[in-house]
Amino acid sequence: MKMSDPQYLYLHVPFCRTICAYCDFCHTVYSQKASRLWLEALQREFGGRSVRRNLKTIYIGGGTPVCLPSAQLEQLLSLLDPYAGELTEYTVEINPEVMTEEKVKILAAHGVSRASIGYQTDDLNLLKLMNRHHSADDIEECMHMLRRNGISNISLDLMYSLPSQTMESLQGAVRRAVMMEPDHLSLYSLQIEENTLFAKKGYQPLDEDTEADMYEWICSTLPKYGFEQYEISNFARKSKQSVHNTAYWHYEDFYGFSCGASGKEGNRRYDKPKNLKEYCDNPLKEYTVHLEQSDMMFEMIMMNLRLREGLEPQRFLDRFGVPLADVYGSRISSLIDRGLLEFSGSLKCTEYGSRILNSVLEEFLPD
Amino acid sequence: MDQKHIRNFCIIAHIDHGKSTLADRILEMTDTVKERDMKSQLLDDMDLERERGITIKLNAVQLSYHDKNGEEYLFNLIDTPGHVDFSYEVSRSLAACEGAVLVVDSTQGVQAQTLANTYLALDNNLEIVPVINKCDMNNSQPERVKNEIENIIGLDCSDAPEISARSGLNVDQVLEQIVSKIPAPSGDENAPLQALVFDSFYDSYRGVIALVRVRQGSLSVGDKIRFMATGAEYEVLEAGIRNPKEVPVKTLGCGDVGWFAASIKSIRDIQVGDTVTSASRPASQPLEGYRHMNPMVYCGLYPSDAARYEDLREALDKLQLNDASLQYEPETSQALGFGFRCGFLGLLHMDVVQERLEREYNLDLIATAPSVIYRVYLTDGTMAEVDNPAKMPEAVRIRYVEEPYVKAEIMLPDAYIGAVMELCQNKRGIYKSMDVIDTGRNMLVYELPLSSIIYDFFDKLKSCSKGYASLDYELIGYRKDELVRMDILLNGEMVDALSVIVHRSDAYSRGSAITIKLKQLIPKQQFEIPVQAAVGGKVIARTNIKSLRKNVLAKCYGGDISRKKKLLEKQKEGKKRMKAVGSVVIPQEAFMSVLSVDEDE
Repeated sequence: MKMSDPQYLYLHVPFCRTICAYCDFCHTVYSQKASRLWLEALQREFGGRSVRRNLKTIYIGGGTPVCLPSAQLEQLLSLLDPYAGELTEYTVEINPEVMTEEKVKILAAHGVSRASIGYQTDDLNLLKLMNRHHSADDIEECMHMLRRNGISNISLDLMYSLPSQTMESLQGAVRRAVMMEPDHLSLYSLQIEENTLFAKKGYQPLDEDTEADMYEWICSTLPKYGFEQYEISNFARKSKQSVHNTAYWHYEDFYGFSCGASGKEGNRRYDKPKNLKEYCDNPLKEYTVHLEQSDMMFEMIMMNLRLREGLEPQRFLDRFGVPLADVYGSRISSLIDRGLLEFSGSLKCTEYGSRILNSVLEEFLPD
Repeated sequence: MDQKHIRNFCIIAHIDHGKSTLADRILEMTDTVKERDMKSQLLDDMDLERERGITIKLNAVQLSYHDKNGEEYLFNLIDTPGHVDFSYEVSRSLAACEGAVLVVDSTQGVQAQTLANTYLALDNNLEIVPVINKCDMNNSQPERVKNEIENIIGLDCSDAPEISARSGLNVDQVLEQIVSKIPAPSGDENAPLQALVFDSFYDSYRGVIALVRVRQGSLSVGDKIRFMATGAEYEVLEAGIRNPKEVPVKTLGCGDVGWFAASIKSIRDIQVGDTVTSASRPASQPLEGYRHMNPMVYCGLYPSDAARYEDLREALDKLQLNDASLQYEPETSQALGFGFRCGFLGLLHMDVVQERLEREYNLDLIATAPSVIYRVYLTDGTMAEVDNPAKMPEAVRIRYVEEPYVKAEIMLPDAYIGAVMELCQNKRGIYKSMDVIDTGRNMLVYELPLSSIIYDFFDKLKSCSKGYASLDYELIGYRKDELVRMDILLNGEMVDALSVIVHRSDAYSRGSAITIKLKQLIPKQQFEIPVQAAVGGKVIARTNIKSLRKNVLAKCYGGDISRKKKLLEKQKEGKKRMKAVGSVVIPQEAFMSVLSVDEDE
């Protein structure tokens, strides 16, 4: 076990009960047989890979991890137990549609400390359009259930810029979310990805102006309720930022486990097979890309500039042995001159720069 | 092969009447091409030609044919383009032939280019063999079409073969008529050499290759030859024919069509239309070349990457070798830097040249909107020819401006007369006449400013007549009109490459249409960009491109990095085809958009 081994682990559960209209993640409709084969494969994957025991965070995402029946959920978490002894954060993504008190108790018993709940909106028409089958009341109920079983650190995911969504609808959804007193909020503007139900039905995102109005309202409103923006789409109460996700934005290494996951270890990035059968046939299979130093430099900038705190030049120097200014000096000064970046101890986006981060990042790509 | 057994001919037709397909069948039926080598439209060897289904360049092949009496004949077949833009190419190939096979589609009948090309062939004293094509189609009307040809053109069609070039039906009759109707080449094989250069192209190993038709004497490997127009002398290193692969021969005899190489490195030594003669025993006179075609349309071509200016020059030099109608000279633009003002025969020609430069020479180009040549009469009594709107002098120095007009002949069925007349009217056309040329078919004649038909007239004509109207036009001279230069200002700065000449009465509507179009095309930037159209310094239309408000990926977690990075790379790549002018980034399409807008949009 080397000190440089990743301290963060992501595990993907590729099953769902129903498929949401906007989702292009790796998912397949739950079946008992497929999930049994998958759990066996996962066991083989853990058996065949070496992972440090003292991880800092584990994040189980999906798909819908909690669509597994209690017994299978128990099996899954047991596989992770050996690595979960010293965690500072243990997150599981939750869909209220398939949550039961029994499952919550299993999560709590294995040390899960944080829940990320897919709330999306309280607008029933929009939920229907998204092919989701819950109400805001279900969310609230689910939060109570989690909290009374000791899983108190709760994040809600919301979406905006949904087809036909109005500003009023968004404001209502956000206010209702705030009233539920979560610790953390993620607000994602809808991107219509290929191969999603939305794309197939020809839905268009809202126009840029409406989307920008919504985003600006979100960014100016949430801090009033005590949620500080710490990343493009993420807001947290004091010291409740997601440790696991922040590691991504710090461009740290992480293990990726199971069908559909990705990982990064040093200059090696890998994708696990997206196809369930391919994964079950060979759970150790990885599609690997070797990253050049220049790729990693860009990616470190790309991830860190998403954070309000930005990038400390020292961390860049420590990582690559080259000062940030030597690599990107002239690009950075030009972006500072254009009012898109600023420097005060760390390099960060100005407010406007963060709104048009894609344009900023383009400047860091090789010509 | 003695001269009596040589037949030099081309195939002429309106576009899509089946010219290249007939050439394919003839190649097959003379065993020139083995079936396994056969690919459709064999003579259209440019990728671009196959993709667009058009012939752009002429191409010559030699075939051997045994007639029904078993006598062997040598055929030189020269394929020709059918589009109106390329009539120059047609006239070049006609000059190398004694006869022409005229293909007419029996489902469509005589079209504008059928007429235009037939008249060109008659001007060149060619024997014409009419052939009725597509006779295997359900809606084929061979008798009606024969009558049409007899009535409209005056060619005897009593024994015209009724063929299907696609299936090969009766194509043997065409071959027999080529032997019986088209005369053998005349010319004295012992006279001093006179060979007409009708095409040339550059080969990186052998230098310039010249395609020639030997009119008098003969040309052999080892001969010292002279180009009569330039005086340049060379020794013939290789000679040959194409079938369609290159086949070397020792001698090109009198009446032959073939190629030769002479290690010609200087592109400027050779001109299409020039006469090749013997250096030791020169002919007293060059052959009559052909009418040099002047470009009708000009545009600026600029490399997206300024460092590739020299590459663009070299590519243009090479393209001009087999496209003598292409003209160019260096120009500079404040907005676009160093580039070339290029002259073309028409819009399709311009499109083809641009695409060939991009594909064959791997260049990224920015093309400005095409312009015609204006004659500007100045207050000091002089006249200036202006082919670039940005170079139009200030209004106070101008007495008046003239623009080129064309006579457009449009052949069309009754049903579309109203729509086509409306189109011509909208394009500032002047109605001249309309005649019934055959039952249900009419010839409509309009005089139109060339500038109003170069851009999209052809497409519009096709769409408003469901494809039934066909067009031919010729330049008829210059006319005075109220023409003004309209400038476009982005962020307060004039962009010279976007200036356009408009009729004064259209200025307001064109100005607002152009500014709106630019607003759609120019990507939002960090600041608001005013887009203005101005005539004589006075702003007549204005709109604003709002600043970019949001352009950020909502989600970017560990597993998203590669995909999101690719997205950014793609976004950046897209900007390579844009040009930064001052502080504004302008996409390539924007430069063309000044012409593509409709007043009614």
